[in-house]
Amino acid sequence: MSSTATQPPGSQLSDALARDRLGVPAIVFFMMSAAAPLTVVAGVVPTGLAVTGLTGIAIAFLAVALVLAIFSVGYVAMARHIANAGAFYAYISQGLGKPVGVGASWVALLSYNMFQVASYGGFGAIAQPLFLDWFGVDVQWWILALAAWALVAVLGVRDVAVNGKVLATLLVAEIALTVIFAIANMTMDGFTPSADALDPGTLVGAGSGALLVMAVTGFVGFEQSVVFSEESRDPRRTVPRATYVAIALIAVTYAFASWAMISAAGDNVVQRAGEEGPELFFNLAAVQLGDTALHMGHILFLTSLIAASISFHNIIARYMFSLGREGVLPRAFGRTVPGTGAPKNGSLAQSAVGLVVIVLFAVMGWDPLVELFFWGGSGGGLGVLLLVTLTSFAVIGYFARNKVGEDVLHRVIAPVVSSVILLVMSYLAVDNIAKLLGVEPGSTPAIVVPSAFAVLFVAGVIWALYLRSARPQTYSGIGLGARSATTGGGGFSAALNENTEYNR
Amino acid sequence: MASPPQLPPADDLYLTAHDTIRGSSLLSPATLGLGLGAALLGELMLWRRVDLVETELVVIDERPTGDAATTAVLEQLRREAGQHGVRNWLAYLSTGIATDLVERRLARIGLIKRVEKRGLFGGTKVSFVPADSMTAGWPATRIRTKVSRDEPLDVADLLLAGLILATGLDQHVLATLNARDRARLFEQFRRHFPAMLQQLVAQAEAAVGDAVMARRA
Repeated sequence: MSSTATQPPGSQLSDALARDRLGVPAIVFFMMSAAAPLTVVAGVVPTGLAVTGLTGIAIAFLAVALVLAIFSVGYVAMARHIANAGAFYAYISQGLGKPVGVGASWVALLSYNMFQVASYGGFGAIAQPLFLDWFGVDVQWWILALAAWALVAVLGVRDVAVNGKVLATLLVAEIALTVIFAIANMTMDGFTPSADALDPGTLVGAGSGALLVMAVTGFVGFEQSVVFSEESRDPRRTVPRATYVAIALIAVTYAFASWAMISAAGDNVVQRAGEEGPELFFNLAAVQLGDTALHMGHILFLTSLIAASISFHNIIARYMFSLGREGVLPRAFGRTVPGTGAPKNGSLAQSAVGLVVIVLFAVMGWDPLVELFFWGGSGGGLGVLLLVTLTSFAVIGYFARNKVGEDVLHRVIAPVVSSVILLVMSYLAVDNIAKLLGVEPGSTPAIVVPSAFAVLFVAGVIWALYLRSARPQTYSGIGLGARSATTGGGGFSAALNENTEYNR
Repeated sequence: MASPPQLPPADDLYLTAHDTIRGSSLLSPATLGLGLGAALLGELMLWRRVDLVETELVVIDERPTGDAATTAVLEQLRREAGQHGVRNWLAYLSTGIATDLVERRLARIGLIKRVEKRGLFGGTKVSFVPADSMTAGWPATRIRTKVSRDEPLDVADLLLAGLILATGLDQHVLATLNARDRARLFEQFRRHFPAMLQQLVAQAEAAVGDAVMARRA
């Protein structure tokens, strides 16, 4: 199966390197662990139903999958030509200019951090009733959230890679259970196939932007496939295939499960989602499957949230590492623990953010499920949608200047189509922000969330312009990542380049 | 007591990267491999057998070096000349090949000893421990001492110091240097470290960062 066709046969070097290369399944698993199927189907979808009152989520998953697949054509093509392909800002720096790239990198950090804290809120809120049910103890949500936080913080700073097999087993179990529960939903007495959930009209109607962001939230993690461009068996085939497979798998699972849930709940689905929250998906299925299946579902729901936290934590820590190596963030973030390669300072910074947010919500008495889990998740989804849109334009910009090695479909057609659609989606999303968050237009959350992105973006642009005049050497390396030998380094290249930094 | 002799940079790096008593590695296997791989390539440059031109390794002299480890690498470079860039060579050497070559070289001159331990589930685990903790700690001490006395490091020691920074080992062994010492060391890199070796160490450092991003480190 392994393809080493790009190298002449009989090369010891190629053979040795090929043994370590990743195939499609390994990459798909990795991508989907951030996507966390049960978290989305049982957590995001019912909460979203309750908050927005919109039922067209199933068709939104399918539509967003299609758009992201078109986007990925150009995205994975550009990944083959640039370094540091795991990070949106690398594309944006090289396609739309470094200032835009730095602005985007800060937006990305905020978005991923929103997902991260959202998963803590979700864990606390969802585990609280379960602990009452299982052990008869009523633990405050924030204590449970802090327990999850501590686990993620320790694993993160020690960079304990959760065993790939454990992760894969959990993921397969999660998907299987999602499908089984969805089928159980279909055999319910009140089941009437819902046309609303699949009505394409909802994608252009009022609140469509809110629906689309919710759907995008479910796919976050898909962009990580390109991290493995250089580790894959065949960069031209493995990564694109893994990306499309993961998008399709996510889309079909989510669309089917949410359609089945909405159909089973019948006409008063929005009301039930409001009353039962994340339990809706389980309650419907429990009627058919009984308690054991219900407990299984709950356990996997919690592990799914933890797996998502760990994977976002690692993404954030590495984002900060890469920015630290480039000198966009303080160089200290570009350091790792020598013995493990863990990006320690990025990990600690992320944990600090998580702790502050959990404590803040606990002290203020804010709602962990809607205001932390759902707002955080959909706010992060909005951020990622904006980043994907910028990246799509960056692909056009990059290939306009570097016409090497890709055909017109990858360079022009797909990126242009996806850019236009994504731009419309982004407009709708920002326009519908109040609907998405379930608040009055013009109220504080509806203003704070989009302006936070705008402020960080502008601040990032200004920072980049400052670097251009004050530290041109650093500026020239922006977006080239840890891979850049001349600028993107740790201690040694800093020694060669930035004499002023240490001479003071 | 006379100072132990200066070893080839890869040997010095190996000793620096391991606990001087227990022999456990201070670096992850991937990072250690990248550092030692770069050190062996650097030795070949010091032997004037190989040049780094842009990102390609070019064999300029095929004659064996008289040392088994570097000769083995040279032989492979010669056989697969021009097919792979330096980053691929580093990736290849880091898969355990460089570490293995250096361990054998150090074991041959008796600086490290092979220790076999019975595993919990049968089978034996082979590891190496330094024969003498004084000798093992010497390379890092030598760098620290010279830098703080503002004495020049020779090119081999600059290579060692560069790779200590590139692998992140400086957090262990150069942490005691103050800002002025660091500035002096960096000054030496810029003035007295040949450009080709600067490039090699920078490539190794970038590869270490790359491994972190791709979760291989």
